[in-house]
Amino acid sequence: MNNVIAVKNLVKKYKDLKAVNNISFEVVKGEIFGLLGENGAGKTTTLEMIEGLRKPTSGTIKVLGLATKKEMDKIKEKIGVQLQSSAYYNYLSLKEILELFGEFYGKDVDALKLLEMVGLISKANSYVGKLSGGQKQRFSIIASLVNDPEIVFLDEPTTGLDPLARRNLWELIAKIKEQGKTIILTTHYLEEAEVLCDRVAIMEKGRILKIGETHKLIESSKDPYKISFYAPKIDRNTIKELENMGNLSNLGGKTNHFEMRLKSQSLLNSAISIIHKFSPESLTVGRSTLEDLFIELTGKRIEE
Amino acid sequence: MELILSLNFYFVFGSFFAKGDGGNGTLSIVNKSNTEIAKNFETSLKDTGIFKVQNDDSFDKAKELMDKDKVSVVVYIPERFGSLEPNSPKKIKIYYVPTNRQSESIVESFSDKYLTTVNMQIQKALPIFSVEKEEGNKPKFNYFDFILIGLIGMALMNSSIQGVAIAMSKYKEDKILKRMTTTPVKSWQFIGAEVFSRLVLNVVQVTLILVIGTYAYDAHINGSIFLVYVLSLIGAILFQSIGFVIASFAKTTDAAEGMSTAITVPMMFLAGVFFPIESLPKWLSSVVQYLPLAPLLRNLRGVALEKNSIFENPNNMGLVLVWIVIMLLIAAKRFRLSEE
Repeated sequence: MNNVIAVKNLVKKYKDLKAVNNISFEVVKGEIFGLLGENGAGKTTTLEMIEGLRKPTSGTIKVLGLATKKEMDKIKEKIGVQLQSSAYYNYLSLKEILELFGEFYGKDVDALKLLEMVGLISKANSYVGKLSGGQKQRFSIIASLVNDPEIVFLDEPTTGLDPLARRNLWELIAKIKEQGKTIILTTHYLEEAEVLCDRVAIMEKGRILKIGETHKLIESSKDPYKISFYAPKIDRNTIKELENMGNLSNLGGKTNHFEMRLKSQSLLNSAISIIHKFSPESLTVGRSTLEDLFIELTGKRIEE
Repeated sequence: MELILSLNFYFVFGSFFAKGDGGNGTLSIVNKSNTEIAKNFETSLKDTGIFKVQNDDSFDKAKELMDKDKVSVVVYIPERFGSLEPNSPKKIKIYYVPTNRQSESIVESFSDKYLTTVNMQIQKALPIFSVEKEEGNKPKFNYFDFILIGLIGMALMNSSIQGVAIAMSKYKEDKILKRMTTTPVKSWQFIGAEVFSRLVLNVVQVTLILVIGTYAYDAHINGSIFLVYVLSLIGAILFQSIGFVIASFAKTTDAAEGMSTAITVPMMFLAGVFFPIESLPKWLSSVVQYLPLAPLLRNLRGVALEKNSIFENPNNMGLVLVWIVIMLLIAAKRFRLSEE
């Protein structure tokens, strides 16, 4: 197998709280693997145990075939870590920080090349404090690449960024993947995981609820088909009829704005023909998303 | 920053002690008599060099100057003083304000001695008993020399305790320490580099204080400069370890700042920076003599001012080492680059 990370029966207890409760999973070489879940689901704790920052209460972790318990020093040489909202020395320039961190690995870093990769070359002599949120995140990601790692850990890389900055980061993460590196990231943006991740593990309360290839997980949803429509003229009887065919919910806000989730293609077709009779002002047909699956699994949305 | 703070104190104290008047202020003489004795008395008083002496025309004018704090003591020699005529005045008047008691007593003892000699000469008497003075072997040092060492100790304490505590808490708050642990750098390497770079800064700091003290304020170091540096660095290590202990307890940078101020400020006033601990009430001095800065300063002063060896009083060195061991143990137990 091409597993670069193997986690087995991992547990982390804080007094009575089981932050991570007996989870096992593997990460395959070259993929982007996502840990999804709300704040407090245990994503960061799991990640930091793999990075060697926290000691597991029990269970084993192997990174590139090396056990974190015994060979963390060797592992550290081969991984790159970006911490959630970490800062850097505020009295060193971006270029100096990259070079300094390179020295921690005993490597000469081409700081300018890294900065160029994320469009920060003009900021080479600026300080971290002068960067925007998106720039800081991009910098913090390239700072995790100074040792040319095989595995890159990104902890909530896009949290708090505006949509454009977020898309910028997606491109960067894709670029890193193209270099043949394995990426393991945490996020609570399901849309982001859907776009980026080859495989995801959905976590809640320290457990993994579901793990697998992202598109297959979505297809495994109980109601994989989805219609959303806005039909002001629709009547009560029709609504009742539709409710019997699948999972109908009023989206709120505008009246008569609905979303419907269905089990099969045939049900989807009949539902569409019924809705058509009321000449809907808008009608979108699609498949369910990771978010729908998450709601199905946990019964709730992820709140920011 | 800390460098500047310690130098600030310097200028305050330096100018306070170096007014160029021997520290005793200005003396005003109002001499209304033109007798030989009166004239000689006036010249002798001027020649002592203890005071800056000025002549004023009238007693009232001199008193007015004293009220304005321009002079500290007035010596009034009445008309015909020293003329030996039966009804001529026989007394010199010394006028002073109670806050200048010290200056007054110097003038008084001078005058007393001078007049006694004159009295004896007139009566042709010879002194029978007298005093013989001999200077001790201990090297001389003055109050400013005492302060100079105090300032070195204070500068080391402030820069090391506050420097380490605040920098480490900031690193912790910014997750720089945590980020560091994801690299192959070992904690001891990181901490070692931090400590070492600060020690280099301490050498610069001590040098600056010594140079300015010696050249600008004429302070003296009687003993070995090398030992002063050695003790300074031992002190710096002690204070840095206190800084690490504070950083290990402080949850935020603000807290670290408050905690280090709470430790350094009382120590600054109680551990003998500006005045000897012995001048404090006994119950207080018996406690504060054990504060980390106190034995360091005792040892530093012994070495610098009295040419003692570092181990002249082994208790001082012992106490400093005990503090270092205690602080290092706590720091080693509590200070972590990242939480578990």
